[in-house]
Amino acid sequence: MQVIDETVGDVLVVKPGGRLDSNTSPSFEKHLLERLEGTTSLIVDFADLDYISSAGLRVLLMAAKRAKQTNGRMIICNLRGPIREVFEISGFMSILTVCDDRDAALAKVAA
Amino acid sequence: MTERLEVIIANRLDEIPRLAEAIEAYCETANVSLKAIYNLNLALDELITNLVSYGYDDGGRHDIVVRVNVTDDRLTAEMIDDGKPFDPLQDAPNPPLDASLDERPIGGLGLYFVRTLMDDVRYSREDSRNRLVLTKRLKD
Repeated sequence: MQVIDETVGDVLVVKPGGRLDSNTSPSFEKHLLERLEGTTSLIVDFADLDYISSAGLRVLLMAAKRAKQTNGRMIICNLRGPIREVFEISGFMSILTVCDDRDAALAKVAA
Repeated sequence: MTERLEVIIANRLDEIPRLAEAIEAYCETANVSLKAIYNLNLALDELITNLVSYGYDDGGRHDIVVRVNVTDDRLTAEMIDDGKPFDPLQDAPNPPLDASLDERPIGGLGLYFVRTLMDDVRYSREDSRNRLVLTKRLKD
């Protein structure tokens, strides 16, 4: 997996690509939690993500809890078909902030 | 009818992507939907991650055999391992899906995915091996 950091205006967008599974989730966890230390709000863009397992969802849940504790927010966008279904059956659509695309996520950060 | 796929992997997490690629290639030639392929690969990933993490005491190399078969109306996978006896249908409560962010425990989703995304899961212990048969219906 590769993870790209982008900045749109003053908003950080973290963009993982490939597979987020039990092999790659430790490094993604480190990356995401480090970025959350330096900013209050960030967007996680899943446009290039092919696959997520429970190991990847675990990282998102930890990061969302961490962001809430520090009054920040983490917004996830661009969930592709099967990944969206995994979010739905996990109950994550109601506990995480999910937007359809990056524009909607940026609008949410600004709100 | 397409021939069945058999893949033997070692008990290492980094074998999971190789298995997923083989299943994807096999299923695509059999015209299985991407969603069904994703769901089977996710179920196998969760089972293998669990097995590799908790299923062996000796730190040694073990083979895990996965066989996949597509028929007209179903996708079937068989997984055989010589890890500790473990039935993924037992002693695994479903995660509290309605809990708030603060109350939601970290973890517990893996085996829930196996039970939810597959239409049928059968476990048996045969000749000191765990045998799981996962079935996904391809037509509703």
